[in-house]
Amino acid sequence: MKSLSISRKQLMLVALLAPTSLFLLVFFVGPMLIMLTYSFLEPGLYGGVEWHFYHWNYGRVLGWADGFYEEFDTVYLEILLRSVGLAVATVLCTLCICYPVAFWVSTLSAKKKALCIFLMTLPFFASMVVRLYAWVLILRNSGFANQFLEATGLITEPLNLMFSGTAVIIGMVYIFIPFMFLPIYSSVEKLDKNLLQASEDLGATPFTTFRKVIFPLTLPGIVAGCILVFIPSLGNFVVPNILGGAKVLMIGNMIEQQFLYARNWPFGATLSMIIIFMMMIILSIYLYKSAKKQAAL
Amino acid sequence: MKKQTPLGRLLSIYSVLFFIFLYAPVILIVIYSFNSNPINIMIWDGFTLDWYRSVFGLETSLADSSSYIDSTDQLLNALLNSLIVAGSATIIATFLGTSTAVALARYRFKLHSFYRLLLFVPMVMPDIVLGIALLIFFVGAGFTLGNSTIIIGHCTFLTSYVFIVVSARLAGMNPLTESASADLGANEWQTFRRVTLPLILPGVIGGALLSFIISMDDLVITYFISGVDSTTLPVFILGMIRRGIKPEINAIATLMLLFSVVIASAGIYFKSKNTSTP
Repeated sequence: MKSLSISRKQLMLVALLAPTSLFLLVFFVGPMLIMLTYSFLEPGLYGGVEWHFYHWNYGRVLGWADGFYEEFDTVYLEILLRSVGLAVATVLCTLCICYPVAFWVSTLSAKKKALCIFLMTLPFFASMVVRLYAWVLILRNSGFANQFLEATGLITEPLNLMFSGTAVIIGMVYIFIPFMFLPIYSSVEKLDKNLLQASEDLGATPFTTFRKVIFPLTLPGIVAGCILVFIPSLGNFVVPNILGGAKVLMIGNMIEQQFLYARNWPFGATLSMIIIFMMMIILSIYLYKSAKKQAAL
Repeated sequence: MKKQTPLGRLLSIYSVLFFIFLYAPVILIVIYSFNSNPINIMIWDGFTLDWYRSVFGLETSLADSSSYIDSTDQLLNALLNSLIVAGSATIIATFLGTSTAVALARYRFKLHSFYRLLLFVPMVMPDIVLGIALLIFFVGAGFTLGNSTIIIGHCTFLTSYVFIVVSARLAGMNPLTESASADLGANEWQTFRRVTLPLILPGVIGGALLSFIISMDDLVITYFISGVDSTTLPVFILGMIRRGIKPEINAIATLMLLFSVVIASAGIYFKSKNTSTP
């Protein structure tokens, strides 16, 4: 009877796990491995691939040419660095914007708090294209911002706000704000307000209290928020596509070009792998640090 | 931390400005979707419903030259595709995510951490990377790009979202109810069907709603793996925006926002029910 119940249990487990395992192995792990393989293959002359090992894809990103047709060119490295720069700027802006607000929300009454959290989560549900489109309306030459500035007499000619790094940062900040706000807010909520009182009573200035008490205690939320904003910003291709134009290319746009226009799939796969590598480095540092912290407690 | 201090007052003003920053751009779209000025859509000219009528292919008072939608059929086709994709992907992902969550919460086995990782990774994977990987795979394996490839693509990451939501529900559940059911002679399947499933149902519905919303909104992955005539609504709108700003986009965007608010309210209603019944 016992062996029967065990086998039935195992049967149930297999039945529960088999569909997902099969699905994700075929349609997630498989494609990822194929992409990894592609990044080491030679691009064919007319699109497609040549099936032999080829390491120049990775060299090309850094500027080394294949030695036959190309010269040393740092254009890809520049775009990569620009992507990192824009992503870092986005992270810093969202952090500076969200941090004070998180504190303000945590001082409100329970009902107002719930309303604020609702208002923060609602954008999650609204279409991203629509939210970015709103900024097209605001930033373009005949847009809301220029008309407002002209009406107030600050400018006489419309400013070129679209198609700049600033426009891309504004767009990314706008769509990723909830990713930063919610983790910070949850760590601010957990902060014991008595500690602030204690710190003040012990003679600390507000700045010292912030540096020694508030900041370290809310750091987990800050780090989580930064990672949650940085990773999608880095590989973003929609925002630069809509607000950046051809001038502010990011690594995501380059990947799109390799696949849809240049037909150099191996190089596009290589660029995707670089995003994965950067993501893996960030996540493993994060997991390592948090594991160490857990062990220290 | 009290509001009376000047710093506190500054903080309040700043926070109110923050929420204005969050909502003003979207509200702007809604307001200007009723603007009758066909040339510069940011200069208010009077109230009109013509853009909405134009979106639905109704007769408008507009001159033919100022009617911009290429064809209402295309828009409705994109909407239909979006609904088919989101509906199918939600059903599949809910099934996959729920079964995995139940397996991981109720059974101890060796590959536990492997499965956690397997379901975590698709969620954090930047969408462009996943889109590219799927494109290479589908083309290499000889799939025709279309609704079916989009559905498969969406399921790869939606499963993780359902898994997370259902797991949270399972974690808050008393496992003894299931032992009781087993003690009373129910087999595994009966226990699942009669005890576990009804208890996790709010989580399952929540996960399904979340999947539906994410699938309806997905742009990047769909962009790469959609075929010629399987454009979804976000991809269609991206195309419209890139071709030039037209007043009809305001109307479409407003309708989409309305739809999102309705679904979000439904989600929050279910969530409140979810927490009120322990």
